Amino acid sequence: MISIQHVTFRYAEESQPVLRDLNLEIPAGELALLLGATGSGKTTFLRAINGLVPHFTGGHFTGRVSVNGRSTQVNQPRELADLVGFVAQDPVSGFVTDLVEDELAYSMECLGIDPPVMRRRVEEILDLLGLTELRNRPLHTLSGGQQQRVAIGSVLTAQPKVLVLDEPTSALDPGAAEEVLAALHRLVHDLGITVVLAEHRLERVMQYCDSILLLENGSIRSGTPSELMQTSSIAPPVIHLGRLAGWDPLPISIRDARRAAPPLRALLANHSPRVQAVPTQSPRIVEIKEVHCSYGKRTVLRGVDLVLDAGEITALMGRNGAGKSTLLRTLVGLKNQSKGTIQVNGVDPHTLAAKDLLRHVGFVPQEPHDLFESLTVAAECKSSDTDAGCPPGTTRALLALMAPDVQDGTHPRDLSEGQQMLLALALIVAAKPPLLLLDEPTRGLDYPTKKKLGEVLRGLANAGHTVLMATHDVELVAELATRVVIMGDGEIVANGPTQSVITDSPMFAPQVSKVLAPDRWITVEQIAYVLNQELA
Amino acid sequence: MRAVTLGKPSAIAIAAITVIGVISFLWPFVAPADSFLVMNSTETPLLFALIIPLLLVTVISQISDGGLDAKTIALLGALAAVIAVLRPLGAGLGGIEPIWVILILAGRAMGPGFGFLLGSISLLASAMFTGGVGPWLPFQMLAAAWVGLGAGLLPKASGKRELVILSAYAAVACVAFGFIMNLWFWPFSLNLPEQIAFTPGASAGENLLAWIRFSLTTSLGFDLPRAALTVILIALVGSPILKLLRRASRKAAFDAPTVFIETQRIS
Amino acid sequence: MTSRWLHPGAWWLWSLCLAAAASQTTNPLLLALLICAAVIVVAARKPDAPWGKSFEFFLFLGAMIITIRVVFQIVFGAGLGTTVLFELPGVSFPDWMSGLRLGGSVTLEAILGAFYDGLRLATIAIVIGAANSLASPTRLLKAVPTALYELGVSIVVALTFIPQLTTDAGRIREMRRLRGRNSKGLKGFVSLGLPVLAGALDRSIILAESMDSRGYGRHQKETTLGRRVSISLVLTSLSLALIGVYSLLTAGTSALVAILIVSIGLILGGVTLWRAGRTRVRTVYRPDTWALPEWLVSIAGVAVLGVFLVARISPDQALILRPELNTWPSLPLWGLLAFGIACTPALSAPPPPAFDIDTNEPVGAEALT
Repeated sequence: MISIQHVTFRYAEESQPVLRDLNLEIPAGELALLLGATGSGKTTFLRAINGLVPHFTGGHFTGRVSVNGRSTQVNQPRELADLVGFVAQDPVSGFVTDLVEDELAYSMECLGIDPPVMRRRVEEILDLLGLTELRNRPLHTLSGGQQQRVAIGSVLTAQPKVLVLDEPTSALDPGAAEEVLAALHRLVHDLGITVVLAEHRLERVMQYCDSILLLENGSIRSGTPSELMQTSSIAPPVIHLGRLAGWDPLPISIRDARRAAPPLRALLANHSPRVQAVPTQSPRIVEIKEVHCSYGKRTVLRGVDLVLDAGEITALMGRNGAGKSTLLRTLVGLKNQSKGTIQVNGVDPHTLAAKDLLRHVGFVPQEPHDLFESLTVAAECKSSDTDAGCPPGTTRALLALMAPDVQDGTHPRDLSEGQQMLLALALIVAAKPPLLLLDEPTRGLDYPTKKKLGEVLRGLANAGHTVLMATHDVELVAELATRVVIMGDGEIVANGPTQSVITDSPMFAPQVSKVLAPDRWITVEQIAYVLNQELA
Repeated sequence: MRAVTLGKPSAIAIAAITVIGVISFLWPFVAPADSFLVMNSTETPLLFALIIPLLLVTVISQISDGGLDAKTIALLGALAAVIAVLRPLGAGLGGIEPIWVILILAGRAMGPGFGFLLGSISLLASAMFTGGVGPWLPFQMLAAAWVGLGAGLLPKASGKRELVILSAYAAVACVAFGFIMNLWFWPFSLNLPEQIAFTPGASAGENLLAWIRFSLTTSLGFDLPRAALTVILIALVGSPILKLLRRASRKAAFDAPTVFIETQRIS
Repeated sequence: MTSRWLHPGAWWLWSLCLAAAASQTTNPLLLALLICAAVIVVAARKPDAPWGKSFEFFLFLGAMIITIRVVFQIVFGAGLGTTVLFELPGVSFPDWMSGLRLGGSVTLEAILGAFYDGLRLATIAIVIGAANSLASPTRLLKAVPTALYELGVSIVVALTFIPQLTTDAGRIREMRRLRGRNSKGLKGFVSLGLPVLAGALDRSIILAESMDSRGYGRHQKETTLGRRVSISLVLTSLSLALIGVYSLLTAGTSALVAILIVSIGLILGGVTLWRAGRTRVRTVYRPDTWALPEWLVSIAGVAVLGVFLVARISPDQALILRPELNTWPSLPLWGLLAFGIACTPALSAPPPPAFDIDTNEPVGAEALT
């Protein structure tokens, strides 16, 4: 279906090619997963399939990409629209209309399809993706998962044979991600559509895919999951576990891993997992008592009690709509509570003037670029020094520690997601606020960057800060957090050490825990530690 | 390759509608007393309000005939939205709209064709958004299109010199816009004292003087602050805005060539 | 009657006809009737959508227009008429302004004149505002001829960006506060504006990518001959319009001939648009139909305009259309007839579809929890 022959591509402004002599065939009806570190060229590769590279981006292109016999050299992306459907990372920005039904029909309008055919196809797609009740809704009122499904539906109405998706589940909570992946699975199985998707959160996607394309240094290795995962550095925890335990064949899904697990379980039977040391006797930084919060008539927080001490890294988890973001907003004084008290470092954040606020609490939003105002990284750091009242160069030095490869002259919005996150963190930490809040910090981050972020956060916690992060990323929580707070319907439903809370709840259990249940192991490190001890 | 390429036919079309537009604004001065326009001076603005949009639409269709691609359309839409949102803020600033800085800088960064289109589209979009749709709209669209066009035709410069040229242009353009928009309703403003009223049949010089006096006493109160605000904004944020616009232009790869390199290899 | 959207063209035709009718007269009673007709129709057929709420703004705009005209007149009034109401301190300008005087005595006639004139402009604004509130802007853009498709799309893009810009601005203002900056004053506004602009520009590139991938901009190849024909049509139509307008400018040539030339120019322009429309590949999903209700609404508008034009031509109605400033204006029977016809769309147009009230909840509610 997709044939890539000797493709080398270089952007016009750069000296090094991004893709080097790629040769690849993707057969029809396959679900292929594209893996690669940030900056490895995944985005470029995906866009080469429908011709956006090079027609939209410009650049120097060698070789041939053809989809179902049609080459991207001769055809502009618009001519391939009935063959390849492309869904970008940010579907909301890609919406042209404001109603669901109109958005689904837009592609067909551009292709000049007859109105009766359009009507029929819209109905089919509404059924296929479960969007029927939403058909007249304005797009901005939909949830993330619904928007993603509408974006997929809007390219499906052209009846393409290939679907290309760039990180479809990065912004979604686990439930919504499941819906989207199940829909894709159905498309591949029932309709025989070829799907190529790039994703960082491998733990969600691995079991669905037929083949993996590993992009490293501009070239691709392809193979079945079990082949490539033997040696890939980018792998979900269950693969690392399998490699560590020496299972053969390497199990890809949790179910397979469970079947191979009994020997390992026997080995671990007399050991207990090593848990992060929770600091005792550390100063209390946050005290929340009996807080109620509402938006108009809707009560969003009901009687929330929470205390956070220095040195803790607390994960705030729960479904979208459970009140996590509202809780974070009350802690920074962006939302007033209707009842109850909040004390951060001894003061109520609402009483603080703007310039004092950042000395008490720092907040990194979901979109780090919302914090950026300057045109270069250097200017951004300088202005942060002024705001924080610290010696010039502090912020830049902090950033250099966290993300050494960021250059002074880059526009902040041109940095990769991970670099933006670390820059935002540097800006916030410059004023040394004892409380650090992060909202979905690992969206769009690959494994190495997540690891880096984890190290940075642990360093900050050890230095006396307390970190509270709202997140869906269970693996990150397992590795990093000392305590987990789960919220449901505005109340705190669980609050305790990571080890016990996430193994109790099937919804929030990491892969390792699911494999070794009912034994309480949550990270591969814990098991590696035990195995090393056994060997010694 | 600019965002909007203006071929010869498009340039001629723009010139033609400019002449018609100029006539539609300046007829009070040059039309003799017994011409049709002067004899029906209360209807003439409405006649032009009908002709100009139809012709403007033809001209725009000609400009976009080269094919406005998705990037240009999306950028036009985004900037038109920014302008449309800034316009009601003018109410908070005492009726002075901060939109000209965006239009002029966009015309400068993206070229005269883009500026022309942005001027007309943004005023139409903002009228649809705020509800300022009225018989004055075609004139506003044309005048704003000229402002955008002119900004794109300014001589090459960079750095501080560029900002100075833009500020000078902005001051002239803002005041001219106000004066010219007065022409829309001034001739058929009834009951004005003679010194500032339109007298059909009087010589061009007398009418011109009357118009200048009228503008000085009335809209200068708006035009000077508008020019001042625009110049201040250009001084404050002209450089960052230009950088942002040029960055967008770069990301849209309007100027990047798409090169297919043939290889000898056969696979 | 089943509820559906009326074709926006019908609303705009009705509204423009009423505006043209209003421009024929300064009789305050006739103008008030036209305003009432607009209010009645809007009240009856206004959709429960965001743009439907804009009509109050237009009424306010109308009031502003009248007030400004009257104030203008008071300040600049040259002492028309005889019934003096009150005296304002007069200010004389120096000689190079030809001794212009401001203020002075304010007469009833002057104020009435300004009021009538302002009312006429206000009526035009209000009646056009009615069309704004009754017809969905996005559906209007769907009905735009294919030749202007690109224009229409860019305006649709602009209208969809606008709410995003305001939410962006709100979010970024909060983030600035968290960095210890407030957004007051000119500097604050400008520092807030830059990130919003940057976000909008970035988003537009993503949007362009999405549009391209979905097939936007497919053209059929035009032959060189076809292209030459299009260009000559455009240039011819513009030249004819230019010649016609110039003839209107000069005395001597018959006005009728000049208008004819201009009209031919406009028709040629229309032909160009039609031809351009044919090269673009595009269909419309569920286009608005033009059925009996559309005809009824349009004909109502045209009929009202017709009544006014007939009155304009008949010599004895001149005083009714432009009443003297020192007598009470009178209300003719045909005025009431016109009012009745203007109100018929309140019944002949179908009621608009009901909006799901929940769906108009602000997006913030979903994203904030």
